[in-house]
Amino acid sequence: MTDVAGGLLFGLGVALAPGNLLACFVGVFVGTLIGVLPGIGPVATMSLLLPVTYAMSPTASIIMMAGIYYGAMYGGSTTSILVNLPGEAASVVTCLDGYQMALQGRAGPALGIAAFGSFIAGTASVLGIMLLAPPLTKVALSFGPPEIFGLLLLGFTMVTYLTAGSKLRAVAMALAGMLLGTIGLDPITATPRFTYGSLTLSDGIGLVPMIMGLFGISEVLLNIEKGIKQDVFLTQVRGLWPTREDWRRSAAPIARGSVLGFLLGILPGIGSIIPTFISYALERRLSRHPEKFGTGMIEGVAGPESANNAATGGAMIPLLTLGIAPNVVMAVLLGAFLIHGVQPGPLMIRERPDMFWGVVASMYVGNVILLVLNLPLIGLWVQLLRVPYGILFPLILLFCVIGVYSEAGNVWDIVVMLVFAVLGYLMKKFGYEAAPLVLAFVLGRMAEESIRQSLLMSRGSFEILLTRPLATTFIGVALAVMVLPAVLPSARAVVRMVGRETVE
Amino acid sequence: MNREAWPAALLSVAGLVAVNEARRLRFGAVTVPGPGFFPLVLAVGFTLVCLVLFVAALRAPAGAAAARSGGAGEGGIRWKVLATLGVMLAYAFALEPLGFVAATCGLLCFFFRALEGMRWTVAVAASALTSVVTYVIFKVWLYVRLPPGPWGL
Repeated sequence: MTDVAGGLLFGLGVALAPGNLLACFVGVFVGTLIGVLPGIGPVATMSLLLPVTYAMSPTASIIMMAGIYYGAMYGGSTTSILVNLPGEAASVVTCLDGYQMALQGRAGPALGIAAFGSFIAGTASVLGIMLLAPPLTKVALSFGPPEIFGLLLLGFTMVTYLTAGSKLRAVAMALAGMLLGTIGLDPITATPRFTYGSLTLSDGIGLVPMIMGLFGISEVLLNIEKGIKQDVFLTQVRGLWPTREDWRRSAAPIARGSVLGFLLGILPGIGSIIPTFISYALERRLSRHPEKFGTGMIEGVAGPESANNAATGGAMIPLLTLGIAPNVVMAVLLGAFLIHGVQPGPLMIRERPDMFWGVVASMYVGNVILLVLNLPLIGLWVQLLRVPYGILFPLILLFCVIGVYSEAGNVWDIVVMLVFAVLGYLMKKFGYEAAPLVLAFVLGRMAEESIRQSLLMSRGSFEILLTRPLATTFIGVALAVMVLPAVLPSARAVVRMVGRETVE
Repeated sequence: MNREAWPAALLSVAGLVAVNEARRLRFGAVTVPGPGFFPLVLAVGFTLVCLVLFVAALRAPAGAAAARSGGAGEGGIRWKVLATLGVMLAYAFALEPLGFVAATCGLLCFFFRALEGMRWTVAVAASALTSVVTYVIFKVWLYVRLPPGPWGL
């Protein structure tokens, strides 16, 4: 405990250094901004700003990137409440009751409780990281290739089985992602695979062009096709401070959302969207008036908004302790770590305590900045939402191009981005999800390396996966996730509920 | 063939192409995998899953397939989407010969004028201003790599 307190104090010293504080401010500000704007999410923005961080110190870069992520979770709720359009995917469920509250003249308390709930959940999740990450780091030191393979297998299973649409399509996308990840040089023998003599392909497909295409440009294309129009709630937003009654009704949903979001966020493949739906479903189930959900219940805003912020903290744990990205956003953050020559994982807390504790403490600082920043700036965000989409979308496209080109100065990366944009556009039209593809793309190479290293360790015997307790546990849980829904009606109901809620 | 069968069919063909390409790599053995082991296993798995999706789509009633598509057919592919993609592709190849500012000005001008219907003067002025401001922010302030072009911009 003393170590943790000492670490936090040390981290606060790092986070409050002028350069890092500025990075934190820029991160949360940009994060809130893109959270407010529909059509561009934290994944595309973090990829876009990755080249900007080259000139920054590694710690400041990661602080800024993390700030974008949790800042976006804050910002997304503003658009959901005022426009009935999720600014960010994790705020979809906030539209249901948040917009209804706005229509009833209670936009202020809705925005207020979203901000306070996010602040409380964000702070609680940082506390969780602080307490859980150091002991988990010690456990993670015993992780070898078989354990990593087991955990990755669990991640692939979770991301495909908890997806909103068809599970089989999600499996297809995960396999496609892993297959795309094999393009380039073989990680062990350096044999070219699927490169066709192209230098661009020898390096493999870039994560940034893929993400920008699948998540950024394809979303813009769909919005152009739909002819999106933003009808901003025109009434003056007043009284952001929730009433005593609002607080009484929201306290338990915030607490439950914080715990739920944090714990689910740790699990590979969950991300920050699923916890919001589960939180909403939980609040509706626990409510004495479930029939009123969807008509402006503050619990329907407080719970999910807390859950999505807590999930961002939870997701940091596997990244910081194991060096494994549990979701797509963390995959980009992992990329940022690697670009700056830092390998996140069990050794980071010992070898780079400044970065480990600095990033953790910056999340405390960032949450305070967000609370101070968000409420007074609501008026600015409202004005921003009034900018016509016809002006916004060319800028979003332009920023995507800058982000992709600046990474390597290669025009072909823009072409790769456009190819993935078309793929993403078609995938959304035909109900194929991009998240399993991207996560499998990132983790696939790690999975290949770990299984091949495991086989080298065991001289070719797969028994190594079944004789090491942690590896066996992960594989067992992965199998349970696959098999239980087919065998047990209650497990099937849970998977269906998550899928249905996500679709709705 | 219904709407859902087409993507599954195309993905199956892509899977078969990947299987064929992966076969050319050294497979090794299950216990000592070579560079072709993972790609081949993945390509075969991918193809099989896509074939299952294809068969399921063919066997599904047309109404159910359309319902699952969730309005995917509404409006179809609009010309704005195709125009945006075409112009973006042209922009990618014009970026280095023309430089960032000139190419971006052309791109934005197209979006503002052709897609959004702004007046020519407004579209040109807004495009030029946005290109220069973006250049200053990213290239001058943030040191982001952008193509200079023949005029150094």
